[in-house]
Amino acid sequence: MIKINQLKKSYGSREVLCGIDLTVQNKEAIALIGPSGSGKTTLIRTINGFVVPDEGQVFIDNVLLDTNNAESLRQTRKKIGMIYQLFNLVERTSVLHNVLSGALGFMDTGISLVLSSIGMFQKEYNEKAFEILTYVGMEDRAYDRVDRLSGGQKQRVAIARALMQNPEILLADEPIANLDPKASQMILDLLNRIHRDKGIIVLTVLHDVIKVKDNFNRVVAIQNGSIVYDGLTKHLNENELSYIYEFEQSEELVFI
Amino acid sequence: MIKRKLSVSPFSKIYKVLLFLFVVLIIWLSFHASNIDFIELIKGLSNLSKLLKQMFPPKFGNIFKIGVLTLETIGIGFWGTILGSFFAIPLGFLCAKNTSPNRYISYLAVMIVNVLRSVPEIIYALIFVVSFGMGPLAGLISITLTTIGMLSKFIAEMTEGIDPKPVEAVKATGSKQIAIITNSVVPQILPLFIGYYLYLIDSNIRTAMSLGIIGAGGLGVELVFHMSLFHYQKFFGILVIMYIIITFIDRISQILRKGMLDGTLFRQKKTKTKEIIAASSFVTVGIVSIFFIPTNLSLFAKGGMNIVKLIPMYFPPIWVNWSNIFIRILETLAIAVSGTVFAIIIAIPLGILAARNLFHIQWIRFIVIEICNFFRSIPDLVFALIFVSAVGLGPFSGVIGLGLHTAGFLGKIYAEAIENIDLKPLEAVQATGAHFFQRIRHCIIPQIMPSFISNSLYIFDRNIRASTILGVIGAGGIGFELVANMRSFEYNRVMGLIIIILLLIIIIDRLSSYIRSKVV
Ligand SMILES: Nc1ncnc2c1ncn2[C@@H]1O[C@H](COP(=O)(O)OP(=O)(O)OP(=O)(O)O)[C@@H](O)[C@H]1O
Ligand SMILES: [Mg+2]
Repeated sequence: MIKINQLKKSYGSREVLCGIDLTVQNKEAIALIGPSGSGKTTLIRTINGFVVPDEGQVFIDNVLLDTNNAESLRQTRKKIGMIYQLFNLVERTSVLHNVLSGALGFMDTGISLVLSSIGMFQKEYNEKAFEILTYVGMEDRAYDRVDRLSGGQKQRVAIARALMQNPEILLADEPIANLDPKASQMILDLLNRIHRDKGIIVLTVLHDVIKVKDNFNRVVAIQNGSIVYDGLTKHLNENELSYIYEFEQSEELVFI
Repeated sequence: MIKRKLSVSPFSKIYKVLLFLFVVLIIWLSFHASNIDFIELIKGLSNLSKLLKQMFPPKFGNIFKIGVLTLETIGIGFWGTILGSFFAIPLGFLCAKNTSPNRYISYLAVMIVNVLRSVPEIIYALIFVVSFGMGPLAGLISITLTTIGMLSKFIAEMTEGIDPKPVEAVKATGSKQIAIITNSVVPQILPLFIGYYLYLIDSNIRTAMSLGIIGAGGLGVELVFHMSLFHYQKFFGILVIMYIIITFIDRISQILRKGMLDGTLFRQKKTKTKEIIAASSFVTVGIVSIFFIPTNLSLFAKGGMNIVKLIPMYFPPIWVNWSNIFIRILETLAIAVSGTVFAIIIAIPLGILAARNLFHIQWIRFIVIEICNFFRSIPDLVFALIFVSAVGLGPFSGVIGLGLHTAGFLGKIYAEAIENIDLKPLEAVQATGAHFFQRIRHCIIPQIMPSFISNSLYIFDRNIRASTILGVIGAGGIGFELVANMRSFEYNRVMGLIIIILLLIIIIDRLSSYIRSKVV
């Protein structure tokens, strides 16, 4: 469970998050929408401690996220997988190595630290990496270099890396913003499948409202650092959307 | 299918570990063979600090004389390159398979070119100092010969890599070979050629500095002279001058090469003032410098006669005392390995400090980059010379000389590699709970490794060439043997050693370019 309580964050004189309250129950999948610069990225980065709030707290499973305690922060991060708009993979190394690096948090002491440092990974990790690569449909590219892959394939590898840590929470910041429509749908389907199979929290930042309507039940909308809508996607109507997006994209919002 | 792949992977891992252990072993043996002794090093350092104290402040002595020698050095490099290009241009087209009249001529030309470029300049200079006497003429001819080798190879490679369509088109008109070259080949390779040409002039002026050490003219002569009389302040004065000239030439050639790449050079209206100033000072200094090379025709003729008389004395090559030769080869290799390792050790911190994206303290970056430039501008032979007086004769001085000189180059390259690191995966792996060390190991190292390996190998390759001639100042290696035989007029043995050096350089060159093509 994620519980966010009166969260505030400013950069200089600019208030980016102005008192966010949000609770995400276990096994929930939610979408986060909002205009550019509204604070979506900032908000989800407070959940794994990459952004330190000025005020307010984040609780993960009822434990306060303490960004001052490096070790406990690291332990919490092991529970939270994250995927990005630009995939953030190490391009020059193999798909397998990138996936295995998702489990580095578990290879932090003793023999597994030594072995992983010379580029050898224990059998259990190797097998798990192949299992996950098969799950995302990339097992036949395990030994290829990442820079030989297409965008959609890269994002699947990035998801595999996040799954390597057996996350309880998966954060996705605009995971399909750099993909073509077909690859986009494939990634959203994969995220849905993960949500269903693993029963974990999936929190996805998206821009495309139609995709949100098709793939999510609950949606949270944020505007100028405040939550302006939190409810079922099916209740999200045109009025609300034009309010959220301040009419800026109203012509683009075509409904089925 | 996955099972099969899984079984391949551990093997390649073991292979990598073995390779790593092998490299460590080689380095350890090389340290051993080049007498790297840490007690000696510390004693040497205290000597060195005494020596450095004696060098301050630098004295410049007779400014007029230094000015003349400076222009002489520039003249040797500049005109050696120009002279070399007269021969290199036709030779290059004879080498290239697509412009050569026939295969056999191409083979022959390639062979000549490979020999010409593999013989270190200092060895040419040693030979020519004997026949032309001490002075700039010997230096000029040495630079010319190396330039012919380097430039021909470059032209041949460029020509073989050109787009064949325009060549076909001109051929189809029934033109002669020469017309095909001027109309379709030259326009395609010209911009790259000019860039490389500027680089060659730059690098040949550097080489001209060290040729003086064995008496082939220029500032180097003065440098050795002051060193031998223990005039350390004047010695340091010359070093400062060398640094200033090389920095100056380096900047000018950088501006011009950049202008070439951006297409702003030689374009009316687009040419920047900076480029006009750079180009005109380059040309002026170059042209003025010719008046400082004594192009005395009678001297030239006499030298030519001498060469004709001397050359037969070098043949047939003979090899005596193989075991001694073998030990010297190993010593040469050991110096190159140790020197390269030494350079890497110095270059890593330099590279980290000089990288734009790691530290944002501008003045530290600036100072570190200047340190790199300083290291690069002082020839390895000169560094080795200083250490010969501080720690004594032997391979160890050679190791330090190579190490310091090439650390400057590597430092800059490492900084670039670090600047090109993609930092995005770093956060992604941090998000999985990896700690600092793991992030460096799994995100940073894999990104800089290819550049690190290929550039270190390149430097190793270069250092092999350099370590074969460190012997001329007593810093160990096979060059030591060469000079000893030269002094006792055993020309046949000199030739034998030159052939061994040639083979050594060619083999290592092939090997290193093969490995580099594999890692990138
Ligand atoms: N490190 C930072 N320093 C200063 N300002 C920042 C920083 N990070 C974000 N901001 C500012 O905070 C605001 C919210 O940024 P954020 O990245 O959270 O928006 P977003 O909703 O994710 O936008 P987008 O849809 O474009 O990704 C923006 O105005 C941005 O300029
Ligand atoms: Mg964002």
